[in-house]
Amino acid sequence: MTNLIPLLPEMVLAGAALALILIARHVKRARFAAAWVVIATAAAIACSWAFSVNLTGPRTGFGGTIAGDGYAQFFNVLFAANLVLVTLLSERHLDSEHVPAAEYYALLLLASTGMMLAASAADLLILYLGLELMTLCSYILVGITRDRPASNEAAIKYFLLGSFASALFLYGIGFVYGVTGATDFATIASVVSERSLGQHPLLLVGVALVAGGLAFKIAAVPFHAWAPDAYQGATAPVAAFLAAGSKAAGLAAFVRVCMVAFALEQHIWSEILVGLAALSLVVGSLVAVSQSNMKRLLAYSSIAHAGYALLGLIPGTPDGASATMTYAFVYSFMTLGAFGVVIALGQRGEDLVGYRGLAATAPGTAALMFLFLLSLTGIPPTAGFAAKFAVILSAVRAGYVVLAVLAVLCSVVSAFFYLRVAVLMYMAEPEGSAPERVPAAVSAALAVAAVVTIIGGIFPNTFAAWTVPP
Amino acid sequence: MTTYPILTATTFLPLLGAVAILLFRDRLARWIALATTLATLAVSVPLYLRFDKTSSALQFVEGVPWIPSWNVAYGMGVDGISLPFILLSALVSVLCVSASWTAIQLRVRDFYAALLVSETAMIGLFACTNFFLFYVFWELMIVPMFLIIGVWGSAGRVYASVKFLLFTLAGSLLMLVGLIALLHASGTLEFQALAQTTPRLSLERQAWLFVAFSAAFAVKVPMFPVHTWLPDAHTEAPTAGSVILAGILLKMGGYGLLRIALPILPDATRFFVKPMLGLSVVAIVYGAYVTLAQTDVKRLIAYSSISHMGFVTLGIFTLNRSGLEGAVLQMLNHGIVTGALFLCVGMIYERTHTREIAEYGGLFKVAPIYSTLLAFFCLAAVGFPGLNSFVGEFLIISGVFTTWPWFGVLAVWGVALGTAYILWLYSRVALGDLRPGLRALRLDLNAREVATLVPLVVLALVIGLYPESVLGVLRASVTQLILAASGDVAGRL
Repeated sequence: MTNLIPLLPEMVLAGAALALILIARHVKRARFAAAWVVIATAAAIACSWAFSVNLTGPRTGFGGTIAGDGYAQFFNVLFAANLVLVTLLSERHLDSEHVPAAEYYALLLLASTGMMLAASAADLLILYLGLELMTLCSYILVGITRDRPASNEAAIKYFLLGSFASALFLYGIGFVYGVTGATDFATIASVVSERSLGQHPLLLVGVALVAGGLAFKIAAVPFHAWAPDAYQGATAPVAAFLAAGSKAAGLAAFVRVCMVAFALEQHIWSEILVGLAALSLVVGSLVAVSQSNMKRLLAYSSIAHAGYALLGLIPGTPDGASATMTYAFVYSFMTLGAFGVVIALGQRGEDLVGYRGLAATAPGTAALMFLFLLSLTGIPPTAGFAAKFAVILSAVRAGYVVLAVLAVLCSVVSAFFYLRVAVLMYMAEPEGSAPERVPAAVSAALAVAAVVTIIGGIFPNTFAAWTVPP
Repeated sequence: MTTYPILTATTFLPLLGAVAILLFRDRLARWIALATTLATLAVSVPLYLRFDKTSSALQFVEGVPWIPSWNVAYGMGVDGISLPFILLSALVSVLCVSASWTAIQLRVRDFYAALLVSETAMIGLFACTNFFLFYVFWELMIVPMFLIIGVWGSAGRVYASVKFLLFTLAGSLLMLVGLIALLHASGTLEFQALAQTTPRLSLERQAWLFVAFSAAFAVKVPMFPVHTWLPDAHTEAPTAGSVILAGILLKMGGYGLLRIALPILPDATRFFVKPMLGLSVVAIVYGAYVTLAQTDVKRLIAYSSISHMGFVTLGIFTLNRSGLEGAVLQMLNHGIVTGALFLCVGMIYERTHTREIAEYGGLFKVAPIYSTLLAFFCLAAVGFPGLNSFVGEFLIISGVFTTWPWFGVLAVWGVALGTAYILWLYSRVALGDLRPGLRALRLDLNAREVATLVPLVVLALVIGLYPESVLGVLRASVTQLILAASGDVAGRL
């Protein structure tokens, strides 16, 4: 019998999305659709937990292509939190930008379904389906403000580059299938070890292509070119959704593919990872220095953070994988927080100049932004520091001390541009009037992000204890 | 012996005060800050009274498991080297609150909250017993100082604060890599456990770790050639910021060398003795010459700090008793005396709004109390016998002469230059004819300001006349440190 239980969270979210599309014409208020999303997400997570506690049988479903393990659950929680926070953050933008609320939230739900599917996939094709579902919805979300040319341009760019990356990924799957005759992770691993195909050139090409496709999803250099344009063109909540969710989904896929399917090719993919991480760190940090648009700055910062997150995966150990998972978790919340402040400030939040003197006119918002910036820089006692500590420890354990030094030097560079915002907020004279009141939904999302950022810094074990390596 | 976690209380009381300040109005901020710092000082005094001077072991030890996956615990404890710095931090914080009473009028709550957070960072740094916590407090210190300089400083404050931040962050992130490498190599970050395991590492690995750590410590001390952030930061910071920088922040670097470099990496320390002594002497002599050329009072004292802190690192790397005891004592002395000089400058700046030496002159005629106190601290700064710095400098120089006489000769030249620039400063500011622009101002100190300076006068006299009050506390721990740094196995037990 086909075991559908591990798929329940995805099914709940997809069902909620379909129901929302059916009644889309009758949804007049964004608030209703938002509440629907929050309830659906809560239900999905409840399913995920309830069945994991009771279930004693096999943890795989759909003929072994879906894994309902602790690893998938960790990411399900992360994607659910991401979805709820973005839903809260979106409320104001939907009304001011004339975006049809039901379609918007249905796309968010479907994209999150894709993320969850990608995290629980135990088969390259299911992984491909999950990631494509996520990216296809993202293309539309980026372009959903139809009357803004920048948004359209961003969506087209994102779509063209994204299609190319998907093709790479699919091509890679083809090579792997050609060599091993399988697409599911366990069989690939066992075939490779039985026939000792570890050095087979076509398999290595396949691994490299798959890595390239995944690197696009997490916006790692040199597959990063879409991110700054897409983030800048999209509305701030969509940019936050991409920065947090899309990246976490890509990392979830990366970790499982590397650790399960290609465990024996560790030598080759750790070389690939070292290259991707080093390039992402350097390019992301250095280019961010010259940005004056906040969303673009956060886009380059997200590129640099992809580099930090990959550091954890280099040694190929469970500890390292759990460091990367923690990093993905913490990064999602701190970047959602930073985008949340951008959203809270409305139009003036988009440009760096808008932050001048913010500490005098809106001390609470400024303090929150300062907290998220410190966390992004990696200064204790914030969650960003604990996460960075863990991934650098992984790199040092794998013997890449030079890479660790490079990572901290990039942190110094990143301190320069993150804290430039702090300088503007605290040390510049205010310009214009005080920003308008922050909507309650946005405040709630900011509070959640701030609490996670602080707790993760003071008690680093809290989140690390939830991570279950694949 | 103790019934409550006294070190935790001392460390986190200011943080509670900072939270309290943010909850109330500006008007209350000063009083809450004063009450908090006084309470912290009161809580810390029993540390001195109940401290067992005969033991080199950690005292008032507290420990709670914290991050099991990295084998990191929340650990607090003091020995003879850290105790004096905790007390000095608590005292300096009180004085800073008092010194900012009227000087800070902008965003008062934020200022005092930042000040109290920095107090928690300072005390926590000296009270913790493992490297992870040390790093956390080290970094925690950067943030409030960055704000204090950048928000409440003078004209060039933004440049100074960003420079301060980038220099210290670059140093401390290299320390982070070293720390992580150390965790990887020995599986622990407890100072005492590290002192037993890491000396077994090869000299090459120790040397790399030493370079990573010294990068952080050298920036904070600051040693030549990474001192360039200091004149800007000191000069642009508000008075309280300068006092904390001079009084405590610079000592973090020296303390780091004593707590981490010497006992944990003894072979590398001995390997690097000559270059470190050389850099110290360069800092002493070069710092002194640059000081002579300054025309801005605060900048002058800032450069003199570089020269004075050169004596401290000189003393540390003699690795003998006289030098080490002198170095610790001199760190305290520098905190007291330079802190006091910055307080004096701040008090007069509040009235005249100029730091140019050329615009002062003849202050003694209109401000006798101020000028007398300034004279006292100037004498203390040049190492006048009977005052505190004399003892410290004497110990350091005699320590240097026993092993490295040529470095000693150069250091003595630095003392002579020090006398010159300080006394010349005093004569230009307080003696001579009264400058016409100063005649109309009410220049002499009020009771609050005198009360701010008196504790430092008392400390300078007590340490100068009865140095044993501090040296007695240090002795057992310094003995332990010398054993550890000499690579003696018994010293690590």
